[in-house]
Amino acid sequence: MINLQPYTNPAYFILLIGTLLPAMIGLYFGKRLKVYEAIWTFSFLLITFGGIKWHQGIALAAYIIFQQLLVQIYKAYRKRHNSTAMFLSMIILSIFPLVIVKLAPIFPSSQLSLFGFLGISYLTFKTVQVLMELRDGTIKEIRVRDFVRFLLFFPTVSSGPIDRFKRFQADEQQVLSRDAYLVMVDRGVQYIFKGFVYKFILGYFFGTWLLPRIAHVALLERHAFFGTGLSLHLVEYMYVYSMYLFFDFAGYSLFAIGISYFLGIKTPENFNAPFRSHNIKDFWNRWHMSLSFWFRDFVFMRVTFFIMKKRLIKNRIRVSQVAYLLNFLIMGFWHGVTWYYIVYGLFHATAIIINDYWLRYKKAHPNLIKHNMFTEGIAIFLTFNTVCFSFLIFSGFLNTLWFK
Amino acid sequence: MKHRHQLGLTIGPVLVAIIMSCLLLIYPYKAGSYSASGLEKASLSQSNNVLKGQAIKTAALKNGYVPFFGSSELSRLDMTHPSVVAKKYHWSKRPFLLGKAGTQSLTHYFAMQDMTSQLKNKKAVVVVSPQWFTKKGQIPAAFSAYYSPLATAQWLLKAKNTQADQYAAKRLLKMNAFHRTSMMGKATLRIANGEQLSANQRRYLQLRLKVLHGEDHFFSAFIVKNKMRRLNNGTKKLPQSYSFTKINRLAGAMGKRNTNSNQLQIENNLYRKKLRGKIKTLKNCQVNLDYRQSPEYSDFELMLNQFKQTNTDVLFIIPPVNAKWAKYTGLSQQMLMSTSHKIKQQLNSQGFNNVLDLTQDGNINYFMQDSIHLGWRGWLAVDQAAQPFIAKRQRTPHYQINRYYFSKNWQEKIVK
Repeated sequence: MINLQPYTNPAYFILLIGTLLPAMIGLYFGKRLKVYEAIWTFSFLLITFGGIKWHQGIALAAYIIFQQLLVQIYKAYRKRHNSTAMFLSMIILSIFPLVIVKLAPIFPSSQLSLFGFLGISYLTFKTVQVLMELRDGTIKEIRVRDFVRFLLFFPTVSSGPIDRFKRFQADEQQVLSRDAYLVMVDRGVQYIFKGFVYKFILGYFFGTWLLPRIAHVALLERHAFFGTGLSLHLVEYMYVYSMYLFFDFAGYSLFAIGISYFLGIKTPENFNAPFRSHNIKDFWNRWHMSLSFWFRDFVFMRVTFFIMKKRLIKNRIRVSQVAYLLNFLIMGFWHGVTWYYIVYGLFHATAIIINDYWLRYKKAHPNLIKHNMFTEGIAIFLTFNTVCFSFLIFSGFLNTLWFK
Repeated sequence: MKHRHQLGLTIGPVLVAIIMSCLLLIYPYKAGSYSASGLEKASLSQSNNVLKGQAIKTAALKNGYVPFFGSSELSRLDMTHPSVVAKKYHWSKRPFLLGKAGTQSLTHYFAMQDMTSQLKNKKAVVVVSPQWFTKKGQIPAAFSAYYSPLATAQWLLKAKNTQADQYAAKRLLKMNAFHRTSMMGKATLRIANGEQLSANQRRYLQLRLKVLHGEDHFFSAFIVKNKMRRLNNGTKKLPQSYSFTKINRLAGAMGKRNTNSNQLQIENNLYRKKLRGKIKTLKNCQVNLDYRQSPEYSDFELMLNQFKQTNTDVLFIIPPVNAKWAKYTGLSQQMLMSTSHKIKQQLNSQGFNNVLDLTQDGNINYFMQDSIHLGWRGWLAVDQAAQPFIAKRQRTPHYQINRYYFSKNWQEKIVK
């Protein structure tokens, strides 16, 4: 059987949008063809997780059943009780498959990686979010099919953006007027074409064309600067990799959002000109937004409330610092259990804590620096370079340079 | 009415974009619209899009270039490299370099498929590295890197039920450059089984070819590596008129200067970057290398088969291994000798008599630039043979292809 990976080439788009047309025509006439959409989703899941990747397909099916059970059991339980122990066990159970898959590379001889499939992280984010909102009481009812549809919404299944259940469900239920739907299709087309420029032209140029060449020369200079491998080419690598990372992932996100819009779903944005951020905090409000907002709402805020409620730490500044540290450490581990992802997380935690100190200092001394184009430029320049350096860590290239 | 207008504004630009991309790809370009300097740049570039594409290389072969098939050694643009010498002394035709690290017989065989009319009754030079003939032969990953859908589609469309085509199809499938279930894979499978392509497959390949030609013309206009500076630097070092003795002396001096960091006569930069740190561990590391048995011998036969079909007059060059390096790493000279014997037997017995075997010259000072790549004096030896070969009148070669060379028996046979 054929196997196609999402959004990799023009033929995929022709197939995807071509088969989506009936559903789109339906929406144009104000009707959501739910059965057709379900069949369409199933077929594309089969193409993505079938063929040579059949074991991923099985893992996905098992995963969905497992998470569905957790959600339905907890929903029923939550109607009567609300114990923290039960809630925590549900969360732990829910992230258990993801933890196993993330640990698999450390135990290469084990069969742990068999639990994995493309997109497991994003499905876990969605499930955890549903469980948390069930606990909060902001979600009361979630039907089996609604949960499956939310989880397996095909345009975003492999790598996000991470939507929220209530928002998604509202879009899904809403009957769009023809005008409103046409505006969405128009936006969708714009997203997808911008994605083509990002991923297939700029991402290709930086990632496929330029990056291997620079990596090659940078590796040749691994003995440079007293054996540290620090060379101008390494600096070049840092910038080129950063550009590649942005254009590739932002391009991918634009595809996912564009296709969502065709289906009348306003999947949230993932990037908002991140290299124009004027500090690290600003950066995380613009970079991989659906992930950083998820972490903000479900890790950072929860940790902060927990510490404050239990009065573990009195000083409010310390509280947020600890929360940042935990937040980014978890994000680092989520990327993968390697030293460079974890250092990447710690680096950003440190950067944002320093950033906080600076912001407080500036607030206390309002006449210290006047805001003008020049200072704004310096701020953007500093932030950009800090971020690019963090991406150099993230790229794992230093690992190759030093230890391979 | 209003909705229709809105719909038109949304879909209109998309349709225009699709139509324009289709036109761009299918538009019948006129061949040969390259400037002389563009062709010169391409002749040195060894870029992937030159090797995999058709437009540039065929234009060059029509306009004063001879194909030089080879691998990594071709990129050593020293003063004596044929590309440099040919420019300086105005050879009647200049080398067009095809191949780089990892290109072997199979890649060349397929790359030839979109230039057969430029090979017909013409000349070619092939540098056959003994290093191609490893136990495993062509590595699929390397083949895939140079895999050309354009040349392969052309090959498929003219493939017949012959032993050579069947063999080539089977090898192609082994390389995993494409999926077996893809259109290309299914078509290749048919050739491998001795069947004809289906009408559908033909139509698909013809259409695909049109698009690939469009892409080739479009993209070959840029992304060509520029090595003109190195070429011109080389020509400046050469004496005004060609003199073997003078250039030989210059080559020796230059070799000496550029290898003075080590005892093995390996070029200083390369030695410093790749070898210095681990030279101790390399002692006797090549004791077990053996090039005498390899599937490559039959892949090589594919090239010969192609030359027979296009009546191409070919000069074969078998480069040596740096003798000092061979001794240090324990590489057997005897094994190298019998490898070159085997290659020569395959060539001579089928009428390919134009062979420059340099296997025994690995101990000449500064013949090699490093371990296995021709250098200052080595290239000079090549020039000495290539210049008269290219200058002389085209002759009609008489080749007799022997199917035996496609057999496992030959691949495994050890020739003393």
